[in-house]
Amino acid sequence: MILSRRLTVSLALAATVAPLAGWAQDAPIVIGYQLPLTGNTAQYGQDFKSAAEIALEKFNASGALPVPVEIIYEDSRSDAKEGVTIARKFVDNDDIVAVLGDFTSTVSMAAAQVYKKAGVVQLSQTASHPDFAKISEWQFRNITTQDQEGAVNAEWMHEKGIEKVAVIAEQTDWGQSVVKGFTTPFKDMGGEVVFEEFFNRGLADFRSIITKIDETNPDAVYTGFFYEDGAQFLKQMEQLGVDIPVYSTSAAYNDKLIELSGEAADGLFLTATFLPTREDAGVQEFVEEWKSLHDGAAPGQFPAQAYDAVNIMLEAVVRAYPDVTRESMREAVAATTDFPGVTGNTSFDENGEPLKELTKATVENGEFVEVK
Amino acid sequence: MSKQLLTKVGMVVLLFVVVPAVLMAFDRGYFYQIATIAAVFVLLAASLHLVTGVAGLLHLGHAAFYGIGAYVAALLGSELEIGFTLGLPAAGLAAAFVAFLVALPTMRLISIYFAVATLAIGQMLYLIFLNWVSVTKGPNGVLLFSGIDFFGFDIESEIGIYYVVTAIMALSVVVLYRLTNSYYGNALRSLREDDQCAAAMGINVTVLKMQAFVISAFFAGLAGALWAYTTGYISPNDFNFSQSILVLAMVVVGGLGSLPGAVIGALLLILLPEVLRDVGDTRNIFVGLVMFGAILFLPKGLFGEVSALRFARRILGSGWSGSADNREVGWE
Repeated sequence: MILSRRLTVSLALAATVAPLAGWAQDAPIVIGYQLPLTGNTAQYGQDFKSAAEIALEKFNASGALPVPVEIIYEDSRSDAKEGVTIARKFVDNDDIVAVLGDFTSTVSMAAAQVYKKAGVVQLSQTASHPDFAKISEWQFRNITTQDQEGAVNAEWMHEKGIEKVAVIAEQTDWGQSVVKGFTTPFKDMGGEVVFEEFFNRGLADFRSIITKIDETNPDAVYTGFFYEDGAQFLKQMEQLGVDIPVYSTSAAYNDKLIELSGEAADGLFLTATFLPTREDAGVQEFVEEWKSLHDGAAPGQFPAQAYDAVNIMLEAVVRAYPDVTRESMREAVAATTDFPGVTGNTSFDENGEPLKELTKATVENGEFVEVK
Repeated sequence: MSKQLLTKVGMVVLLFVVVPAVLMAFDRGYFYQIATIAAVFVLLAASLHLVTGVAGLLHLGHAAFYGIGAYVAALLGSELEIGFTLGLPAAGLAAAFVAFLVALPTMRLISIYFAVATLAIGQMLYLIFLNWVSVTKGPNGVLLFSGIDFFGFDIESEIGIYYVVTAIMALSVVVLYRLTNSYYGNALRSLREDDQCAAAMGINVTVLKMQAFVISAFFAGLAGALWAYTTGYISPNDFNFSQSILVLAMVVVGGLGSLPGAVIGALLLILLPEVLRDVGDTRNIFVGLVMFGAILFLPKGLFGEVSALRFARRILGSGWSGSADNREVGWE
């Protein structure tokens, strides 16, 4: 019973992989993209795929290379065991010269162990775990670290004369880095963190936290949340009549935040790397293309990160061509300097961390506007 | 050669000769990875089988004990540099110890109350993994750089890892198999069928439940250590409620009360999503349909308990035909 099942399954699997073995001279250059296309983070993965398709189509139509580039998408469901399995599958496929993804840090890091061992460059559009890029020379990311965002926010508050800050963040690796990234530089500037608390993602009732924040009487609140939690938090702040300025990170930057929280979002301060309203030809082209595919909805921060990640990878392919190997791709990705993307100019430092310029923004009358 | 011996030898040959030969013939990391994950989940399903299948206690928090094993192995390995050889038993024992502690107040509960209690235990432990940042590193997870160091041998090759994982899995499954097909196993079955009747016949129901729970947690802990060492990175989400449900689904689809069923269920639910990978986003629906179909048309499982017991009695042969005139014991 076990014999026949295991064997048939192995053979069936082998049959699906075998055709990839023979490849002709003009074969396309293949990049793997692991992302959650199903499961409870599927909305992000689907957005990444959509953004990647826009970027890839534009690239192949531009004729920058005599051969087409192809992306193989694999669904990780944001599950570490699937992520690792996909990584092994990508590594097995000799045609794949580089890999994009995954979405969450945890899956990206589990998969990173495989890429590190096999020597395949991995560029994640979102993995923000402080140690992700440090795993090996093969890991890169296209999202600003919270050390960068926290420092900009700390500086910004300091300039406004804010001295006492309450800090809350979601209980994830990312939330941890938000708190650390902000409190360290803020305390160095002489600021005081009067309250610090983590909440579990998807918390419906923030009122006890808000009450506790209010009791400590801070000058501002610094928050590490995504737009879903952000909207809840802001609405409940308003309901309780707590009028303390709220600062946040680029993760809160999403039109849905305003949609969900209405007027409560007005006066929110945040740092962002991508503003769809920015007057820049590249940004506008992406935004138009995205809107035409998504019933007129503007893209958020994450699809923009993915769009840039794919373009950085494609630019690296051009740089490495015609000698496109896993090794040359690492060098080519590492050599990225001032890549003009929709999320600002990107270079990588020696650890594979992106160096980006951050935009300060605020919400005014239900719209994100840049703070000059 | 007798038929019993032939079956046993056949299984050993399959696991340690045929499958490795196929794996080596293809030499693809992807297949090794699937084989490893399948082995880990076979062990998990087999350990849950003892509690849920044999003793009939609906256990909704099994993944938490799997998690304890993984965390203990990973933290011992990365923080204290205690390798695999000691880390593996430590992982099992730690999981068993925690199971013992939580079992003390809960094992007198029955049916749905027990299920809810285990659900709570699972969530509680998951939240500890997530929020006890100073020890578990919270959501950041634990990176484990050391490989499998097995009694002084560094196991680095893919095939070596396969052998270590499979050997530990196979050995554990054999222990669970002998345990469930012994008089001890029958006592557990009696408590599933009617615990009051079992108690009236002199079986200490609470102690028996507790033992089953602790033994099961021990093997789940071993599975956790194997997962930690083969992946190199663990985080709380690997051990959340949905993993408990996945393992439970394996046991139910395979056949409650049947160890071969649990093994087949685990293989099915690990291999099927991989085979269907090319189908695309709808593959989860197909997996769901297969599970639904299995429950609808084979409510006793793919390899039900009656077949499993008949199979076991044939294999264990002489142990079950001990009477003087060599009459078969058990039902036929």
